[in-house]
Amino acid sequence: MEGFLPLQWAVFWWIIALPCLVFGILQLKRVLAADREALPLLGVTGGFIFILSSLKLPSVTGSCSHPTGTGLSSVCFGPWITSVICAIVLLFQSLFLAHGGLSVLGANIVSMGIVGPLAGWGIYRALRDTGVNIYFTVFLACALADFCTYIVTSLELALAYPAEVGGFGSSFVMFMGIFAITQIPLAIVEGIVLALVFKYIVQLKPEILVRLKVFPEEKIRAAAGDS
Amino acid sequence: MWSRYRLEIVAIVAIVCFCGVFLYTSSLMNDAEYAGSDTLGSAGVAELTGVSEEAFQPLVPQWEPPSGEIESGLFALQAAVGGIFVGWVFGYWKGQKNRST
Repeated sequence: MEGFLPLQWAVFWWIIALPCLVFGILQLKRVLAADREALPLLGVTGGFIFILSSLKLPSVTGSCSHPTGTGLSSVCFGPWITSVICAIVLLFQSLFLAHGGLSVLGANIVSMGIVGPLAGWGIYRALRDTGVNIYFTVFLACALADFCTYIVTSLELALAYPAEVGGFGSSFVMFMGIFAITQIPLAIVEGIVLALVFKYIVQLKPEILVRLKVFPEEKIRAAAGDS
Repeated sequence: MWSRYRLEIVAIVAIVCFCGVFLYTSSLMNDAEYAGSDTLGSAGVAELTGVSEEAFQPLVPQWEPPSGEIESGLFALQAAVGGIFVGWVFGYWKGQKNRST
């Protein structure tokens, strides 16, 4: 939505996004230098961000929106590296698809690349060392990363455009109605699909998940063993 | 043997339900346009500010796909690039696994 954020807000979100991106790039270099075998996993998780964020799906509210696909990458590599992949996808969409735009790119990176993945990563970290099934954990992380992205989008717009009556709160409720409600069914389906993808990663390449300490080794071994 | 494919079954059921809910609601809502939520968001901003949507000009000059066909083509290209990555890596891992066993 190029042009729909006033200049000061566009700059504000850019200022938040930039240090996170720099940190993400440094972290990415470190992870890849430590283990070249992490690169294919990055390809898979990044590939799903490319695929899912291009699919505009209809939802129950009679409008369309797209999933984000960021949860899987966030579980495997953490939210900062995910921000870098998201920035690439969002840049492509701004330059060639008029979907987003260069001035609002900062705000979009914050919602899709930083806060969404951070929320997914938070729930994943909370459940990682508990007895909760790993696929259920991945499902929750992915669904939450998707859903929170659109909560933050609503927040960004409500901050920039508080309603005359009711101020920020009533704007936020209105934008939540547009973005977040549409997103609920999409977030659930995305979570299930990415949990399934994670199952295939566990079956094909459990070693890399063990090495990156995505889940405790015995949980991954158990999951890879019974499938 | 069913328990091996539990997650696959859940995924298929979820997708079928998603399609089913879509068919059901779209048959109830005749006026639904299935516009993008971005478009609705823009309309929301216009409504809040009382300024027409056309008045919001890009802050940074922006190239727009000349038509919906071209736009959907570019979206498909993006998905295809992602698909190539995913397929390539899964194939690479599968090959590694077959060789080691």
